[in-house]
Amino acid sequence: MRIVYSDVLVIGGGLAGLRVAIGVRRRGFDPLVLSLVPPKRSHSVAAQGGMQASLGNVIKGDGDNEDVHFEDTVRGSDWGADQQVVRMFVNTAPKAVRELAAWGVPWSRVRRGDREVIINGQKVTLTERDEAHGLIAQRDFGGTKKWRTCYASDGTGHSMLFAMGDRAIAEGIPVLERTEALALIHDGRRCHGAVVRDLITGELAACVARATVVATGGAGRLYRVTTNAVINEGIGHALALETGVAALGNMEAVQFHPTGIFPAGILVTEGCRGDGGLLRDAEGHRFMPDYEPEKKELASRDVVSRRMEEHIKKGHAHKSRFGEHLWLDITLLGRAHIERNLREVKDICRYFLGLDPADKWIPVRPAQHYTMGGVRTDHTGQNPSLAGLFAAGESACWDMHGFNRLGGNSVAETVVAGMIVGEFVADYCEGAELEVSTGLVREFIAREQAYLDGLCSGGGKEDPSALRVAMQEIMTAKVGIFRDGGDLAAAVEELRELYVRSNGIVVASRAAGANPELVTAYRTQKMLRLALTVAGGALARTESRGAHFRADYPQRNDQQWLKRTLATWPNPEADLPTLSYEPLDVMTMELPPGWRGYGARNQIEHPDTERRAQQVAEVRERLSGEGRFAVQEALMPYEQLLPESIRGRNERLGEKLP
Amino acid sequence: MTNTLAGRLAVNASVPVQASRWPARLDLAQSISGLLLALFMWGHMLFVSSILISQDAMWTITKLFEGYFFFGRSYPGIVAVIIALVFGLFILHAGLALRKFPANYRQYALFRHHMRGMKHEDTTLWYWQVMTGFALFFLATAHLWWMLTHPGNIGPFASADRVWGDNFWILYLFLLFAVELHGGIGLYRLAVKWGVFEGDDPAASRRKLRTVKWTITAFLIVLGLATLAAYVKIGMAHEDQRGERYTPAWVEHPEEHAP
Amino acid sequence: MTASTDVRRLRIHVLRYNPAEPEKAARIQTYELDEAEGMTLFIVLSELREKHDPSLQFDFVCRAGVCGSCGMVVNGQPGLACRTLTAELPADITLAPLPTFELIGDLSVNTGKWMREMTERLEAWVHAKQQEVDLRRHEEHMDPDLADEVYELDRCIECGCCVAACGTAHMRTDFVGAVGLNKVARFSLDPRDGRTDADMYELVGNDDGVFGCMSLLACNDLCPKELPLQSQIAYLRRRMAKQA
Ligand SMILES: Cc1cc2nc3c(=O)[nH]c(=O)nc-3n(C[C@H](O)[C@H](O)[C@H](O)COP(=O)(O)OP(=O)(O)OC[C@H]3O[C@@H](n4cnc5c(N)ncnc54)[C@H](O)[C@@H]3O)c2cc1C
Repeated sequence: MRIVYSDVLVIGGGLAGLRVAIGVRRRGFDPLVLSLVPPKRSHSVAAQGGMQASLGNVIKGDGDNEDVHFEDTVRGSDWGADQQVVRMFVNTAPKAVRELAAWGVPWSRVRRGDREVIINGQKVTLTERDEAHGLIAQRDFGGTKKWRTCYASDGTGHSMLFAMGDRAIAEGIPVLERTEALALIHDGRRCHGAVVRDLITGELAACVARATVVATGGAGRLYRVTTNAVINEGIGHALALETGVAALGNMEAVQFHPTGIFPAGILVTEGCRGDGGLLRDAEGHRFMPDYEPEKKELASRDVVSRRMEEHIKKGHAHKSRFGEHLWLDITLLGRAHIERNLREVKDICRYFLGLDPADKWIPVRPAQHYTMGGVRTDHTGQNPSLAGLFAAGESACWDMHGFNRLGGNSVAETVVAGMIVGEFVADYCEGAELEVSTGLVREFIAREQAYLDGLCSGGGKEDPSALRVAMQEIMTAKVGIFRDGGDLAAAVEELRELYVRSNGIVVASRAAGANPELVTAYRTQKMLRLALTVAGGALARTESRGAHFRADYPQRNDQQWLKRTLATWPNPEADLPTLSYEPLDVMTMELPPGWRGYGARNQIEHPDTERRAQQVAEVRERLSGEGRFAVQEALMPYEQLLPESIRGRNERLGEKLP
Repeated sequence: MTNTLAGRLAVNASVPVQASRWPARLDLAQSISGLLLALFMWGHMLFVSSILISQDAMWTITKLFEGYFFFGRSYPGIVAVIIALVFGLFILHAGLALRKFPANYRQYALFRHHMRGMKHEDTTLWYWQVMTGFALFFLATAHLWWMLTHPGNIGPFASADRVWGDNFWILYLFLLFAVELHGGIGLYRLAVKWGVFEGDDPAASRRKLRTVKWTITAFLIVLGLATLAAYVKIGMAHEDQRGERYTPAWVEHPEEHAP
Repeated sequence: MTASTDVRRLRIHVLRYNPAEPEKAARIQTYELDEAEGMTLFIVLSELREKHDPSLQFDFVCRAGVCGSCGMVVNGQPGLACRTLTAELPADITLAPLPTFELIGDLSVNTGKWMREMTERLEAWVHAKQQEVDLRRHEEHMDPDLADEVYELDRCIECGCCVAACGTAHMRTDFVGAVGLNKVARFSLDPRDGRTDADMYELVGNDDGVFGCMSLLACNDLCPKELPLQSQIAYLRRRMAKQA
């Protein structure tokens, strides 16, 4: 039995995992990172568009600050987010961008003087300030009041992940590449690490640590059409779920991105629309202004995706051999702009569609994109029920995105969470020795080994690939952008059947080593559990909020549903998750629930909303001369929640620091 | 922080270690010697091909090198010195180039296999550069050695006798192809290696370079073949008077030739 | 497009070998399947694994040409399988793992390990001039054109195609490859990196580094990201040669 010891086991080598590891290393602890693939191949690399941080360097970002970012994010979340966590996030995001700048990310920079851009289909000349010359530039993204998205051309995630990966190597952080966590080792109260499988040799081992961090990214592969990588199967989510103790939060909140290329689902960045690209229908008509006169193509993703599907349902889609789709038109941006700023998009069109986007429109249709739900944690990143279990990044729900995350807020979240959670993990390690019985470790390894052996020798005859494809079809057809009770109930039922059948999975191949068929087999059952939490949560939530849209309950219902879904799986024999709810307290919100500024305007109010809104108005009135920081402090103090090392205000052109 | 360069240097501050500069010098030396040899070979080709203009022209050039027009008589020793210099350069270049040769059969086989699969022009050209370079070890050495020991035996008749009568044409035929291919590829590679003639669009410049390279190589091979043919022809006609030296009609006092 | 008659039947020849099963010799295995519109090698291999041979090993992650996982040799030339359309290939397609890297099995190779070792060897990260930056304050200014230039070289995805395409790397296992040389060029260009040319010479001023490169330029010609490797290596060579 091989046991590897470290202070902190970080499961996941994406942006979030690496930043946590760097953080704990800098505090003097030994991290060990696990990753299915070499860290730089994690899906963070695919983020094209950018990272939100209210630097406000470009003229269109002038006046931006934490307050505006905060409001955009909370509105985007449809008030599902934890507002204190959002505050922590928006205050740290500028620091995260600046840290990455120091580590080598070649952020695109502001150039002084005039430049021509496309806004709302029109050519507009912007004049950048002299003093901004050479500072990090921002572009426009959906759901934001100001231009706030920092970018490195259109390979932002790539440049970020490479800078982060190189930094981790520079700090000598060990990474077990091609190693998969199969189960968390825990005693019901504390997490002690994980059972892992070497994806080259197929051997099992235990990684034991004082603290364990789940940073495994999204779960897009629960769906058939997704922008996510093939490794984004939600295994990390499932690991937490299978402890029976830790809860997953808001798993029904699944984001669909408006512009997946059709039919492959590969993403073309929101930057296309941010930079001025338009959505058109089969007749070439620009339809978004008809639905969303204010933000048009740049309303939040859930809204744009829904409007697109709505427009398709009305019969305005272009019909192709593979089905129906709409068009994304970036020809108006001009070849020079596309070849400089949207080159990845150009490559994708060339290699996967065989077209040149400077001449032709791109076939698009919404595709699954982001998992808002994740391992439930408090603001420190720690799970409330299993001590020593932390989570960060897309696989976490701490919860800053609520029911819809804004474009550019996710890579920002990964790094910010890494900075914050890394500190708290180190704090935790200072107070927690490594204490675990080898008996427990042995038991967990034996259990996993027995499970794998069972898959290879069991008497069943279910083909894991077939079960998985069936699951993906159900999720896409019935737990997608438009949901309703009938479909969801059917989905839960069908998924349950698949789940029961998955007990009869058998692996035919006896290949030595990792055995890809075995990998598919053991992941499939985990994925089915996860799919059931998504579908089950969606069925139970009889309202529409953010990305979760119920055609049979089209209103946001704050009165009954201003609460977070918590899913656990306490009984391994059960075939459904257990759902419970955690209310959000309106009376402590800095921004009480209201209209988002786009989308439908017909929520059912929470009884406290009006009272809180009045309080907030009074405070603002009373402190109107005191500056924004005083107002904020009075409404919802949060700074004490941040690790000391990253507190403090952020310098801007208009807001000098003393 | 000992895993960073700065950290390591700090640790070792008392003993400043510095990477050897020799690899840089050797690389430069290989390139420069190659360049000089290639330029020399261009000149060489032009000189010997003067036979195509006329025997007089060839004679004049030879005598020029022998100092005849400066001193009033020929000093083949001058030619010998030039040959010795070229020979030295050649040995230097060959030695440096050896660093790049496959070191054993395994490496050779790996490269061959790789080249055949890839079908990539510049990769294949390198193979030919190595092969021709290898051939030159022998072919060029033979030629250079002979010339070094017979510096006076250059001239319309003397050379023709050697080419035909002494059967050097066989050597020269191979030498011609080996040199022109090797030199042409080498010059092209020098350009891309050091980034000269890159311009604003390196890809386009490289395509142009390649065309120029092939044109020059083809031209020189044709020129070389014609030249060789000319000497063969003279050699055949001159077979009976082997050893006789050419003297242009306008030269009043033919030189005494020391045998 | 109705007819199934003009659908091509593809013959996929895969070089198979699993080091965990050394008793089975390396062999070429041939699979047949019908071509579909827009079919990429990602789709082909996934289908083969799902329907024909679940033991087939290969690596895909993003399947969008940005993560660099799926480098393999397609009909003799290294490239990214995920974005290779079968329509651009003949009906006979031969797939082999990237050479020069440690083989994991079939088409899967350990580029990650190689790249990490290269990064450590070349210290391929920003060596900051000052240690502590105050994150609350403005970032250091940088000329916008220079930022773009650094980005150009930063686009490398470490897929390994340049190394697999490199004749030098085939013969000399310690050669850092175009990927390594490009990294050095990238960090020398970056004003945030305090290292001088002399420092860089320590890393690549040898025959496993820039002077080992024989300018075969297959790296440049086959780089999936079309990085300017030819000019960058030449530029680096000039700068390193000045150190002589
Ligand atoms: C196409 C695309 C474009 C995007 N563009 C943007 C954008 O422009 N802006 C933005 O803000 N966001 C964007 N996002 C979202 C954002 O990129 C991701 O949410 C974010 O990068 C996730 O980072 P992460 O570190 O949480 O996870 P990832 O980067 O996905 O990393 C997960 C890691 O976990 C490892 N792992 C998973 N399971 C296991 C296991 N069982 N055992 C061991 N290791 C495991 C993986 O190997 C990997 O290293 C985009 C997403 C996609 C799909």
